[in-house]
Amino acid sequence: MIGRLVDKLLQSPPPNYHGVMGVYYYVDDVTEAVKTLREHGHNGLSVFSPVPHHDIERALDQKSSLVRWVTFIGGVLGITGGFSLCIYAGLSYPMVTGGKELISIPPFVIIGYESMILLAGLSNLIGMLALARLPQVKSRAPYDPRFTEDKIGIWVPCSDGEARKVEQLMRGHGAEEVKIHG
Amino acid sequence: MSSDEAKKLSHAATADAGPVITQKSLNDDLLRMISRPGRLWWAIFILDLVILSIGGLAERNQIVHGIGVAGHTRPVMWASYVANFVFWVGIAHCGTLVSAILFLFRSHFRRAVYRVAEAMTVFGVLTAGLFPLLHTGRPWFAYWLFPYPNQRGLWPNFRSPLEWDVFAVTTYLTISSIFFLVGIIPDAAAARDRTNNRWLKLIYTVFSMGWTGANNQWKNFYGAYLYFAAIATPLVLSVHSVVSWDFAMSQVPGWHSTIFAPYFVAGAIFSGVAMVINLLIPIRKAFKLEHIVTVDHIEKLSKLVLLTSTIVGYSYLCEFFSAWYGPNPIERDMFWWRATGHFAWAFRIMFTCNVIIPLSLWFKPVRRNMPLLFVLCLSVNVGMYFERFVIIVTSLAHPFNPSTWDVNYRMSWTEGAILAGSFAWFFMFFLIFVRLLPAFSIAEIKETLAAPMRRKPS
Repeated sequence: MIGRLVDKLLQSPPPNYHGVMGVYYYVDDVTEAVKTLREHGHNGLSVFSPVPHHDIERALDQKSSLVRWVTFIGGVLGITGGFSLCIYAGLSYPMVTGGKELISIPPFVIIGYESMILLAGLSNLIGMLALARLPQVKSRAPYDPRFTEDKIGIWVPCSDGEARKVEQLMRGHGAEEVKIHG
Repeated sequence: MSSDEAKKLSHAATADAGPVITQKSLNDDLLRMISRPGRLWWAIFILDLVILSIGGLAERNQIVHGIGVAGHTRPVMWASYVANFVFWVGIAHCGTLVSAILFLFRSHFRRAVYRVAEAMTVFGVLTAGLFPLLHTGRPWFAYWLFPYPNQRGLWPNFRSPLEWDVFAVTTYLTISSIFFLVGIIPDAAAARDRTNNRWLKLIYTVFSMGWTGANNQWKNFYGAYLYFAAIATPLVLSVHSVVSWDFAMSQVPGWHSTIFAPYFVAGAIFSGVAMVINLLIPIRKAFKLEHIVTVDHIEKLSKLVLLTSTIVGYSYLCEFFSAWYGPNPIERDMFWWRATGHFAWAFRIMFTCNVIIPLSLWFKPVRRNMPLLFVLCLSVNVGMYFERFVIIVTSLAHPFNPSTWDVNYRMSWTEGAILAGSFAWFFMFFLIFVRLLPAFSIAEIKETLAAPMRRKPS
């Protein structure tokens, strides 16, 4: 009963995709195909690969990730939050030792520092998940399990009219398999 | 063989003239580890659970009868529990060193070993975190350690090193767990795509979060990974510094020293790397992964053991030099007693295992001899346990006032059982981990292979 429920959960029907998926093995074929496809105006394409390749990133003209700004904001909030917590706690519950200052910055640096790292790490995680659209319940393109093994896939979302042309372009650049969805 | 297949093979990298490694063979070799466990695994696991339950019984005794059963008596009120805490936090340090610091330095040998090291970190901190709780005697009040608004307007003392420790260790546990789980995402996807078992598929689907390897995912994954490494590096150095300040901020002779932070960090990395070697040698043998985790990888780790051993040895000598050269006669007396008094045997074990035996790592045949290296790293861990024992127990047994000098501390069976239980607790997680999650980073090891190219690069 529970087993069947798990099966059902794992095999939800895929959404309807419109586009062309090409499966490749060689990285330079992919780079050339991506360049050509982009020259033909297909800018919304996605590349699926078992490992990232700089050549493909360059062909896609990919900008660097924005996650660092999220991390930075988290870090700033962490350090200010850490210091504020110590100062607030020191003032609201005064523990005077040897007549020294209640707000003693040097020990608070450690709390501020650790809080900075904690919040920077958490916001880095949240930033990464949000920007990479994770967790992802349904893939935005028809997925093939070989993409986590040794094959690279190029997904070109396009109308049915353009599909044939895209298929030809992919085959011309060494695609091992091309499938039209739609 | 078709010309295409021949080309694919020619692009595959080889390691140590072992079997040819391709992206596909890597998937198969590394995911083979995740299979139905054999009898040996079950035997070890059940033995582990038996030891854990003995530790649990001891803890039950301690809760029912009070902390007195641990046998802590004045002046040694911090004994094996605090030593265990420092030991396990130390073990936990290698993971972040290997995964974060070596990532920033682009040391590619980390790729074959870092997942095991990271898992060790997470489980090490989980074990370490138990000890402050057990040591309080009333672990159900542990939440008092955290700052939370309450009716009485009470706040913890942020000027206390023990409160710094709460922040450092919980931050370390959070960040190292995130780092570990994020690193697993692409590999869990590879495991998800291969398994036929519906339960495992469900587990990997959850761990992989629906990863597809799309360019947008890789971009943000590595964008974030770099920053995880960048923030984990200062964190790892700060955590053991903070742990060392639990001691160094007090005025107890033998503890009150500015060298403690770097000395503890080096010691932590020393014991952590030794533990990673101790875990990797049996794993690579049991799962026949000698072509992936090569002797070269282990040799590089053993060089780290040698480096940190020399730093630790220098710190030992430096402490003695400061005591001898400095103006404080109480400090001088303490160090003299440490090396020659009641606990001199523990001091001798510490010095031999941590400084003298690792000197043999200057010789390449020792670094490349796996059984010998395994025994050597075990002795390093024994030595590092005794280092914490020596620092904590000898310093407390010999404070300022001679009237309190006493050597009545003996490790009680409760402490012994809880120490054994802590090892069982750590290995319980580890044994489940190697059978359930990819213990080696498939995606990152794939990156070390030459990218398949149809044309030769110009």
